[in-house]
Amino acid sequence: MIDFELTPQQARVKEMIHQFARHVVRPISLQADREHRIPDEFLLKLSNMRAMMSAGEVPDEYGGEGGGAGEAKDNKGSSQKNRFALIGGEEMAWGDISVLMSLPGPGLGGPPVQFTGTAEQKERFFGVFKQPGLHWGAYGLTEPGAGSDVAGIRTSCKKDGKHWILNGRKCFITNGGRADWVVIFATMDPAMGRAGHRAFVVERGTPGFSCGKIEDKMGIRASETAELVLEDCRVPEENLLGGEAHYERGKEGFMAAMKTFDSSRPMVGVLGLGIARAAYEYARDFVKENYMLARALPRYTQLAQTLAGDKRLLDAARLMCWRAAWMADEGLPNAKEASMAKAYAARAAMKICSDAVQIMGAHGLEQHQFVEKWYRDIKVFDIFEGTGQIQRIVISKRILRDPPNF
Amino acid sequence: MISFGLEEDQQIIQETVRKFAGEELRPKMRELERSGVPDALRRRFDETGLGLEEVDLPTAVLVHEELAFGDPGAAVALSAPYDGARAIAILADDSQKDRLANGTVAVCWSERKAPLEGFSTVARRVGGGWALTGRKAFVVGGGHVDRHLVFAQLEGAEGWDGIGAFVVDKGSPGLKAGEKHALLGLEAVGAYEVHLEGCVVEDVNRLTGTGEFHERVERLFARTMLVNAARQVGLARAAYEFALQYTQERKAFGKPVAHFQSIAFTLADMAMDVEAARWMVWRAATQLDKGSWASTVAAAAHANEAAWRVADNGVQLLGGAGYVRDYPVEKWLRDTKALALFAPPSEIAELALAGVELGQPVSTGLPSSAIQPFFT
Repeated sequence: MIDFELTPQQARVKEMIHQFARHVVRPISLQADREHRIPDEFLLKLSNMRAMMSAGEVPDEYGGEGGGAGEAKDNKGSSQKNRFALIGGEEMAWGDISVLMSLPGPGLGGPPVQFTGTAEQKERFFGVFKQPGLHWGAYGLTEPGAGSDVAGIRTSCKKDGKHWILNGRKCFITNGGRADWVVIFATMDPAMGRAGHRAFVVERGTPGFSCGKIEDKMGIRASETAELVLEDCRVPEENLLGGEAHYERGKEGFMAAMKTFDSSRPMVGVLGLGIARAAYEYARDFVKENYMLARALPRYTQLAQTLAGDKRLLDAARLMCWRAAWMADEGLPNAKEASMAKAYAARAAMKICSDAVQIMGAHGLEQHQFVEKWYRDIKVFDIFEGTGQIQRIVISKRILRDPPNF
Repeated sequence: MISFGLEEDQQIIQETVRKFAGEELRPKMRELERSGVPDALRRRFDETGLGLEEVDLPTAVLVHEELAFGDPGAAVALSAPYDGARAIAILADDSQKDRLANGTVAVCWSERKAPLEGFSTVARRVGGGWALTGRKAFVVGGGHVDRHLVFAQLEGAEGWDGIGAFVVDKGSPGLKAGEKHALLGLEAVGAYEVHLEGCVVEDVNRLTGTGEFHERVERLFARTMLVNAARQVGLARAAYEFALQYTQERKAFGKPVAHFQSIAFTLADMAMDVEAARWMVWRAATQLDKGSWASTVAAAAHANEAAWRVADNGVQLLGGAGYVRDYPVEKWLRDTKALALFAPPSEIAELALAGVELGQPVSTGLPSSAIQPFFT
């Protein structure tokens, strides 16, 4: 059935997270951006509230909050996990994207552990989050010489007795410096292509594993982006994700890296839209309060039209993301739709944030007015999790290969 | 519950229309463009029962996307008479509905020279009826249908109370088909001027319905906008799929041009445009079914823009082949611009909604076709 209404439960959770984003998160947003950090006390407070904000990054069988509300099934028995996560994610990003990205938890490292980890590994790595204090997981794929070209990674891994020896550098790793563990992708031999890829969970304190520089970025400045260095890093063999047997089928390492994206790309899309919605609403209210008092609307049709266009672009992009998430929930292959969602939403969000600055005129450039921050924050959405160009490669490969499917 | 899944009966209807559009419309698109929709084709469409069949709006938009995928001109030509009857049904009271909401109907709304409010076509009281005098323009099937639904200014009355809707039967004295409009696109449709020279309409054929008249007029046009937006999606999909296929067959520099990234990325953007527009239309359909038409305006505006971009890219990707009439894409680029004017223009409606959003509702006042008149 075609339907776009939230369930009463979803609407309640959305409202709850929105209030939280408005009254707790947004107030620290500008300061966190200026100081490039979010206070630990604040994050601790947040992690105590995780249960209601998360859609089950830590599966409940490993002591997490499970899907929480997201586990609700629809009338055909499908999970609504992805749809639920998108609804909550948009609201949090509306509050502040760096806060959301800094939330303690497995982060992007969660899906590969969940999808390919052995039971013992899931127990061990998700178990970390049961401990008191702040704990993060991270996802280490990108390297100085290979980002989008995942198959081109050069971080090497070599078996040595009961250990693997890893050498290489990873960069642009969110929460990488403070993570308890990082899923690191490496290759046994670049000549083997995808079949040579292995995924490891490298724990903080592993000999030879260290954090390099923390990046100084245009936006999302309060989110930690780290460089990770692996120098003869000895990783115990039980940390090979999925165990040896898992890789006998060939491309598993690469597939584990890619599978993460099917659910993360629509999410990244709506996060960008959360920021864009914040910018749209801010500019709209600014126009209402500052321009409209002086002269009535017919004098400002161009501004009104820009705002109207941005509002519907926001809606269209959100629907693209929801579609990909709905497919994921239904168990349908959604790699193409996930890329479409992310590519479309990122471009839409950038336009909307740019319009917001423009509409406000000189005010839009002032640091206390938020929109200049969102303008800086939003650009990364067309870059991380696969650039807009990479999304278009994924999309075009599939539309050229498969018959039209509508 | 957010869901993009079609019900089984919706899939069946979609398949039926797709088959009809694929067999009856697409292969004949040039012929239809030259000579209009022949009676035989109209009969075959009637046999499918897709015209007046009462389906909910989410199902209706599926139907219209598929018809326009076949041929946008035929899509409008085939369903316009039914949509006219539907318009009568929306405006009529119960006793009028059975009698008048049937057969083929042309809606006479726009005028070439309209006042800033209301219409220049005048309804003057004569005995137990009204005499209509004026010139209507941009009327699909005008002068060649069973009935005309004519909007006119009641002499001596003002505001919405001064707007009248009259059903004029075929052959009424004083009703004449005017000139056929020669158009940029959608030539299969056949749109005409309609002249009324003291054409007399009985009181029983004035539609006053029940409830607020202007709300029902809004409802009528909201549906038109929605259906038309669905057509834009179908048109866009046609252009996209054609370009997708062509660029894989056409070779340059030793490989199919689709394998060059500038082409492949354009195809990806076209695919995204088609999908985003479709979901906007679907969402609008579910909301209009519940009586809210704000998202219909958004969907129409979005679909108009997206379809134009996709059709333009379609011509561009075919290059010179895109510009000649041996290929269909040039037609879609003309048709998409025409389609955007076969429903109340989204620009004005969107501006009105923006006024609400900004806390300064702009009174849209009385209907007028003085600015951006459109085809009905």
